Amino acid sequence: MANAKQISVFVDNKPNQLTGVMKVIKENKLNIRALSLADTSDFGILRIIVNDTDKASDVLKKAGYAVTVTEVLAISIPDAPGQLSRVLDILGSENVNLEYLYAFTGASDKAVSFVIRVDDNSTAETAFTNGGIIILTEKDITEM
Amino acid sequence: MEKYWNQEIETMSREDMKKLQDERLVAQVKHVYENVEYYRNLMDEKGVKPDDIKSTDDLHKLPFLSKADLRDAYPYGLLAKPLSECVRIQSTSGTTGKRVVAFYTQHDIDLWEDCCARAITAAGGTEEDVCQVCYGYGLFTGGPGLNGGSHKVGCLTLPMSSGNTERQITFMRDLGATILCCTPSYAAYIGETLHDMGYTTDDIKLKAGIFGAEPWTEEMRHSIEQSLGIKAYDIYGLTETSGPGVSFECSEQTGMHINEDHFIPEIINPDTGEVLPEGEVGELVFTSITKEAFPLLRYRTRDLCVLSRKKCSCGRTLIKMSKPMGRSDDMLIIRGVNVFPSQIETVLIEQGYSPNYLIEVDRVNNTDTLDINVEMNPEQFSDKVKDMQEQEKSLAQAIKLMLGINPKVHLVSPKSITRSEGKAVRVIDRRKLHD
Repeated sequence: MANAKQISVFVDNKPNQLTGVMKVIKENKLNIRALSLADTSDFGILRIIVNDTDKASDVLKKAGYAVTVTEVLAISIPDAPGQLSRVLDILGSENVNLEYLYAFTGASDKAVSFVIRVDDNSTAETAFTNGGIIILTEKDITEM
Repeated sequence: MEKYWNQEIETMSREDMKKLQDERLVAQVKHVYENVEYYRNLMDEKGVKPDDIKSTDDLHKLPFLSKADLRDAYPYGLLAKPLSECVRIQSTSGTTGKRVVAFYTQHDIDLWEDCCARAITAAGGTEEDVCQVCYGYGLFTGGPGLNGGSHKVGCLTLPMSSGNTERQITFMRDLGATILCCTPSYAAYIGETLHDMGYTTDDIKLKAGIFGAEPWTEEMRHSIEQSLGIKAYDIYGLTETSGPGVSFECSEQTGMHINEDHFIPEIINPDTGEVLPEGEVGELVFTSITKEAFPLLRYRTRDLCVLSRKKCSCGRTLIKMSKPMGRSDDMLIIRGVNVFPSQIETVLIEQGYSPNYLIEVDRVNNTDTLDINVEMNPEQFSDKVKDMQEQEKSLAQAIKLMLGINPKVHLVSPKSITRSEGKAVRVIDRRKLHD
C-alpha cells in the first residue's frame, strides 16, 4: 500500500493545548511534514504527518493524549490553475466521498501536495493512478 | 461461611432488637433532656416529656433535629457530657456553610470503631488481612473510623490517608494490601493509576474495598470492581451520628445493614415530616441511642433512601437501607426538574465513558443551562470531526432520556478533569452567584 499514515490528536479548546503537543514533538526530535487543525466549539482535532509515525504515536500516547492513526492518501499536483478541480472531479466520478483535505509544501515549488481523507482509499487510489495523479508514498514524504 | 463481628447483635431476632432499642431509647431521651438545654427547649416547645417516651413506638413524638440546629448550637450547644469526659472532636468538611463539630467520649469512640469492625468483617476482613486506609485522616471521620475498625478486627493497618497515588500503589504492592478503604472516586482513580503505571490486577492482592462518604452508582461499583479486581462494599455514615459504620454492606451487596443497636432509622416525608412505611422513598432520620457526648435524636440526614426488612442471605437481621439516591442538598433543580449527579454518572459509565465528569449549571436569559464536561474515550477517538460530534450528540440524548431535560455535552481530553483524592467535586452551580 502506498498510503501515508496520519496521526490525529484530540486537543481541548483552551489556551496552551497545541503547545503541549508540539513540546512532545520537539522533545522527541520529530519533524512535521503536513499539518491541519479542525476545530469545534468544544475541542480540536490536530492532524499531522510526521517523519516517524510509530514513534510519534507512541510518545504522544505516553504523554496522555488521545491519538489515532489513519491511512490517508497524499498526492502531488502541479501548482497551476484547475489542478485541484481535476482531483475532485476524479473522486466525484468514482462516487468517493471526501471527508477533508489539506495542502502542504512538497520538495518542489512547482508542485503542491495534498493530504486527502476519503472513506474508500483503494478506489480513490486506483482512480488517481488512472487519472495520472502522482501519489506520494510514505517514503516520499519522509524524504521530503 | 458468613463471618460476623458481633453475631449476637447482627443476627438478633426483631423482638429482641426492639426490646434493646426500647430500653436504650428511654434512657437516652432522659440523658439528653437532662443534659442538653437546647434539646430540652425543643422538647418543651413540642410539649414532650421524657416520661412520654416509653418505647420506640413513641419515637415520632420527639422533635426533629436538623443541620441548622447543629449550626445554631455550635460548638457546645448539643454536648451532653462534660468536656473533661470527652476525648475526641471530629468535624464535617464545612463545604455547605459553618462546620459541624461532633464530640466523643471513649465509649463513643469504641462503639464507632466497633461499627466499622462489623463493616470490615462483612467485607471478609480478618486478622490475616492488610487493610489500606486512604480516607483522609484528621478532622474527617473516614480515616480515623476505618483505622479504628481495622485495629479492632486485627488487620495489619496501613494508615495511608489520601493523596500521593503512586505511593499508594507502591505500598499496596510491596505490603500486599488485601482491603482498600477510601472514597469511591478515589478508588476509581487508584485503579486508573494502577493501570497507567503498567500494572494489572495480577500485580496486587486486593480482594475487597470499603467505599463511602459520597454517593456512587451501581455502574461505578462494577467499574471499580473490574479495575481493581475486587468486591466493592458500600459503607455509610455521617459525622453527626459518629462517622462511617452507621450502616455497611454484606456479601449480598443489596443495601447496607444499619447498626440498629446504636442507631434507630426512620424514613420521613421531607416536606411534611410524616413517618413513611417501610419500602417508601423518603428522608433518612437517625436517633443515636448509645452515644454519650453527642447524642442526636431524630436527626434529619437529608439523604433520600428506602428501608427494607427483607430477609438477607448473609443471615444478618439488621434492617437495610438502600444506597442513598443522593443527599437532598446534592440535588439540582434545573428548569424545574430534579437532577442528581449520580443519574448522569450512571449514563456515562453505561456508555463507556470515565466516571470523572464536571457538571456546570448556570442561568442565561432566565433559563437554566446544564453543561456536562465528559472525558472522551480514547478508544473511540476518530480523526473525523463529525464522528466526535456524533458522540457528543448521542451521549446528550442518553442523558436527556434519563433526566428529561437537554444537556450540552462537551468532550474534553482524557484525564483532564481533576481527580479526587477525597470527596469529588462534580458540580459547579453558578446560578448562586446571580442570586
